Amino acid sequence: MTGIAFHLPDTIEEAVGLLVADPESRCLAGGATLVAMMNAGLMQPSGLISLRRVAALHGIERSADGWVRIGAMTRHCQTAASGLLEGGHRVVRHAASVIASPPVRNMGTIGGAVAFADPAADYLPALVAADAEIEIVGSNGPRRLVAEAFFLDWYQTALEPGELIVAVHLPPGPPRAVGRYNKLSRVEGDYATASVAVVLEMERGICSRIALAVGACGPKPIRLSESERALVGGRLDEDALAIAGGLLADAADPVDDVRASADYRRLVIPRLVRRAVRSAATEFR
Amino acid sequence: MIGATVTLTVNGRDRIIAVPVDETLLVTLRERLGLTGAKLGCNQGVCGACTVLVDGRPVRGCLALSINCEGAAITTIEGLGEGRSLSLLQQAFVAAGAVQCGFCTSGMLLAATALLAEKPAASVEEIRAGLAGNICRCTGYRKIIDAVLAVATGRGP
Repeated sequence: MTGIAFHLPDTIEEAVGLLVADPESRCLAGGATLVAMMNAGLMQPSGLISLRRVAALHGIERSADGWVRIGAMTRHCQTAASGLLEGGHRVVRHAASVIASPPVRNMGTIGGAVAFADPAADYLPALVAADAEIEIVGSNGPRRLVAEAFFLDWYQTALEPGELIVAVHLPPGPPRAVGRYNKLSRVEGDYATASVAVVLEMERGICSRIALAVGACGPKPIRLSESERALVGGRLDEDALAIAGGLLADAADPVDDVRASADYRRLVIPRLVRRAVRSAATEFR
Repeated sequence: MIGATVTLTVNGRDRIIAVPVDETLLVTLRERLGLTGAKLGCNQGVCGACTVLVDGRPVRGCLALSINCEGAAITTIEGLGEGRSLSLLQQAFVAAGAVQCGFCTSGMLLAATALLAEKPAASVEEIRAGLAGNICRCTGYRKIIDAVLAVATGRGP
């Protein structure tokens, strides 16, 4: 208990150096998951590298070409309130706004949530639907991975020892797209029982582009090109939505847990998909 | 460094405290500073009984490490009123009968204080959303919301 080292680096390079020097140490971002895990005795890092002073990890920026960069230390409350997340990027803002409760949103960060990769966490399907890229830095330098390739399995990511998450980047989407995140949970503030993130663009009542990702129904978010193809070019009618939702339910790999049975999750996926898409489509009327 | 001293401004008073690295703010407040109003409930950030204000924002005392709070201004329930007198919101809780066992009360009051500082005329929906992270197992929430609403609508005691 008392042997834990504490570090307060000012730069990303310094933080990476500390991580590489002690692979059993962990980065401390907002503490919302790491400290909870330590309190439960599930994690006993040999050192903590607090990232709060690393200025390059903080804040949300939008560049002239339409990309948005969300620094890893950006808290959920900041993402939820950011006016820079418009159009399809709203899916990320919307997800941030329903994570846990206000005090937790004042603490937790996007980098921490992405690194922990709880499959029921709200950011995961939202980032997959937004085609987000995760920027990572390690001793071998920086690299970027699309969210779909970053989330590998239950609580497992492509992050290697000695690497840390620097930022999440959102590519410019179609200017008229809308983003929505629909979460089914037992009570407000709980993790999702099942969730659907959608980025939709419609032209004259026809779906011109859609991205759909299902959360909390398997080891990582589920996104299927067949499901999206079933909707593009059509009017999002009942039959097409049933096909798209059914494909996602078939691809899901949910488990029985305290929130719901696997069967229940498979049952609700098509209904959540329909609700999420319909809700996004209302913005085009 | 293995543990260190941190300087916290707790309820307006500077405190220099030596803490182990893994000590939460909640433990420091309760066991080193004797401020036992913040409660240890789930120790997982879910129940809200440990809610305190850090630089004016409600956070979970059980998820913040004291060593990482250097320079922060902390407000606990002990710092809400002026001296021995209760804040308007505390008086409203008394008047509405919003307290039963009391375990959630300090967290509720701090979350509600932060909410009203941001939205002084908060609606019922905003109050419910603002207090969604604070669990009460006694009251059914009704009287807690009544108390906060009384202050938000200027009908406070």
